[in-house]
Amino acid sequence: MKRKEMRLAPREGERIDRSREVSFFFDGWRVTGFEGDTLGSAVAASGRQVFSRSFKYHRPRGLYCCSGHCPNCLMTVDGVPNVRVCVEPIREGAVAAAQNVVGGLNTDLMSAVDKFGGPFTPVGFYYRTMIRPRRMWPLYEKFLRNAAGLGRVDERRGSSRRYDTEHRRARVLVVGGGPAGREAALAAATEGPDVVLVDESLALAGTQLDGVEVLTPARALGIWEGNLVPVEFGTTMLRFRAERIVVATGALEQPLVHPGNDLLGVMLPGAARKLVRDYSVKPGETAIVIGSDAEALSVVGDLEEAGVEIVRVLDLRDGRPRDLEAQGWKGRLRRVLIDGHRIDCAVLVASSGRQPAYSLLAQAGARIEYDGALGAFVPTELPAGVEAVGAVTGRGLERTDSTPAYGGHGKCFVCICEDVTTKDVKRAIAEGFDSIELAKRYTTVTMGPCQGKLCQLPSIKLYAQQVNAYEAELGTTTARPPWAPVEMGLLAGRNHEMARRTSLHFRHEEAGARMMWAGPWKRPYAYGDHPEREVQAVHESLGVIDVSTLGKLLVEGPDAAGFLERLYPNRFADMAPGRIRYGVLTSDGGRIMDDGTVARLADDLYYVTTTSTGADAVTAWFEWWNAVWGYDVDIVNVTGALAALNLAGPLAREALARLVEDPDDVSAEEFRYLDARQIDVAGVPCLALRIGFVGELGYELHFPSPAGEHIWDALVAGGARPFGLEPQRILRLEKGHIIVGQDTDSESNLLSSGMSWLPKLDKDDFVGKWAVEHFGEREEREKLVGFRMEENVVPAEGAQIVIEGYPVGRITSARRSELVGEVIGLAWVPPERADPGTRFEVRVERRMVGARVMHGAFFDPAGERMRA
Amino acid sequence: MSALAFLSPSGCEPELLASPLVRALEGVDPALVTDLSLDGKVELRGDVDSIAVGEGEELVRLSAGRGLLLTDDPAGAIDRVRAGGLRGYDATGLLAGFAVHGEQLMRRLTDLDLDALPAAGPFAHVAAIVLRDDGDRFRVYVPQELGHDVVHAVLDTYAGLPAWP
Repeated sequence: MKRKEMRLAPREGERIDRSREVSFFFDGWRVTGFEGDTLGSAVAASGRQVFSRSFKYHRPRGLYCCSGHCPNCLMTVDGVPNVRVCVEPIREGAVAAAQNVVGGLNTDLMSAVDKFGGPFTPVGFYYRTMIRPRRMWPLYEKFLRNAAGLGRVDERRGSSRRYDTEHRRARVLVVGGGPAGREAALAAATEGPDVVLVDESLALAGTQLDGVEVLTPARALGIWEGNLVPVEFGTTMLRFRAERIVVATGALEQPLVHPGNDLLGVMLPGAARKLVRDYSVKPGETAIVIGSDAEALSVVGDLEEAGVEIVRVLDLRDGRPRDLEAQGWKGRLRRVLIDGHRIDCAVLVASSGRQPAYSLLAQAGARIEYDGALGAFVPTELPAGVEAVGAVTGRGLERTDSTPAYGGHGKCFVCICEDVTTKDVKRAIAEGFDSIELAKRYTTVTMGPCQGKLCQLPSIKLYAQQVNAYEAELGTTTARPPWAPVEMGLLAGRNHEMARRTSLHFRHEEAGARMMWAGPWKRPYAYGDHPEREVQAVHESLGVIDVSTLGKLLVEGPDAAGFLERLYPNRFADMAPGRIRYGVLTSDGGRIMDDGTVARLADDLYYVTTTSTGADAVTAWFEWWNAVWGYDVDIVNVTGALAALNLAGPLAREALARLVEDPDDVSAEEFRYLDARQIDVAGVPCLALRIGFVGELGYELHFPSPAGEHIWDALVAGGARPFGLEPQRILRLEKGHIIVGQDTDSESNLLSSGMSWLPKLDKDDFVGKWAVEHFGEREEREKLVGFRMEENVVPAEGAQIVIEGYPVGRITSARRSELVGEVIGLAWVPPERADPGTRFEVRVERRMVGARVMHGAFFDPAGERMRA
Repeated sequence: MSALAFLSPSGCEPELLASPLVRALEGVDPALVTDLSLDGKVELRGDVDSIAVGEGEELVRLSAGRGLLLTDDPAGAIDRVRAGGLRGYDATGLLAGFAVHGEQLMRRLTDLDLDALPAAGPFAHVAAIVLRDDGDRFRVYVPQELGHDVVHAVLDTYAGLPAWP
């Protein structure tokens, strides 16, 4: 079929620059328009009418609102789905492709649903059909998922655009650039600086207002508390905080709901006006105009000026017809039947009036009430800091006539986004969905891309009519952001995933470490593929591991000893300065929270370490209790300030002695197990802690983080082999040391975890004391024990322990130890199965494997190597 | 030796120290992002308003009982504040610091009011202390362990600006 060019001769005021041609592809066809066109206007100028297929019935749809509100021109443009081409500026080489079609835009095979599927796809059909037989559900689901939705994200394409977020502040933010908005912005500018006006249309581009920053096209997406207004501005999300918000969003033309109201050629007056005035495009050769206010009917002048033959003008203020039906052929409007009179035409420009665009105000907290005189909902009781001006208040609007009550044949759409017909709404009411909010969820009316802009008022009026209620009683559905669809990428912004890195991070990478996430930290898993060799180095000579991730807190003040004494179940007040003690924090429910060491550095100064993921929580815990008890104590989290290395192995002392000024400082006599002292190592002041998590003679060196690489280099040059987290896990298991959070959970307590020696119940009080006493009195439910596997298989962490066919416990840690020569681990078992030597079975890869309980360390149980 | 000497990088020869931002800033024009990480910083506890701020020092009041003192001589400053009854802790290693230019860059990284600095708040989703110098130069202090990634975020944001310096 030969298409007729619809571009008009040059006209005054047109927004296109005819000297600059721009070409792009539309559904595989090359289309040429002009600079200043939108993709949609250029396509319309080329004589094409079909832009999309409707959501459910796959009916052909064409330009309807030309304002970026309705779903009729949604296309995938340059890989980005759901772009409204009626407002998308033209650009050279752009590719606009149809979406939600099987076949082509003009020959969509799914349009069979429109012809034959009606009886099978009533409102809510997906709740009732395709349920049986149940085994078919995967097939149904696949079909439904393919059939539902609009555009598709191309997962292989990746991110095609860069999205940024920008935080802005404004004294006055005006939303909407119509006459009222501009006037408000200029008035605000006379009172002071920082006035910003945002408008979603292209019409204001290049507009200058004295003292006002004009952003266009820019769309306010919502209003949150604190006067936060996110504004979509190209590929940047502007997050405005405004002292005052002026909403001037105007009013939205409402469709006339009658049979055939979605045919190609049916459009709102604003769309026809925009095509003619802005883009010099003739909407059609012949037109009928129906309106209920002067604004709508004034389009007659524009159409006549464009050479469109006006075959009938119907002013609804003079009375509405009983029957009104648009009829067409292959989806295109051919004629309109008005009370039995058949009138041929190519275009039906129709509107039932205008409804204030109050959504942003509703989100801000304004009350929305039905104005009976206006026949529309208007905002009242605005919240502080938010104002409304212009048509959004209802001022200047004429009464609407939106009730869908026209007789005729054919589908009558109350919601063109979701293909919801008046019949659907009536059926929902008949099924009992007689509240507007329930009906919204059942029929999906107002839930489509227009977010109720074009369907909320007609659907409420239809409801009111059907249930014999007043619109004021029904109210509106809740207005939620975003006010208009927004790209997910814009909501997400830039992807900056922050990892905590120790000051040695790059030394690990240079040494070939495989890095892994450990909570918020990046840590070395192992340096190569043989963690067992790193374990061997620690046992036989010397290893070094980066433990900078440990939480590190200073507790200082005259009340420091009393504070810790009251926080921890064990004692710290009796420690001499320079000594260290292991500590476990319990919650006020007596459960294990965290563990670490506590070193007394001076009478009023303690150095506390926590688990790697526990620093922030323990700091908050300490600060909380300090605030409650009112002690004279300062708690300072110095985790990041200090790097820490654990030098471990039989050669540790020798290696350290080479790096200190006086080797006697680290002799076994001068520097005993559980001593803490300051020494200079390789010229760096360090706090050295004589402790060992991995079971060998060891020193934990804590020193300023900027010196991390220097100390590391010195230790490695001195013969220490780096070892990672995996070897550390093997080493600590050999000693039977627990990891809080891995071997314990939120229900674990000191007694069941085998640490009944730790709480000092003779103390006056400590956090969780009552609960710990209570645990001692009641029967235990489970115990944490060590175990050896009978076979050389490593059960997964979390694997079930099964006794006589019943799951009774779980594995928390398991590794193969070359030193022990077996697979060893820790597990929670019932108390009656916790005696040494008791056998249980573990489920490993769908079979049961035997294991036996073991108490104490698997290696060096007396700790002689550690204390050497 | 003070009981907290092990906290102070100033106790080492400068050549033994490395900034946490050194890798992130490799090949980056120092005028774009200036590394301030090894400049002296002292965390103050107590009545911070009572401290006498020395010449060349800068006090950032974080709360009534907490402040950050930017100083060339952290050890001396700590002695001074402790003599005055406050507690001071060397925070030089705790915080990575850098200077950047441009309001738009800052607006893309923080929602702090740039006309009400110094202030503590999020910067690139990380807790930070932000100061403003004359003109459009800003100084940002973040936990050193996150500094590398924060600088990457800064550089990425620079790259997205309409006028990439």
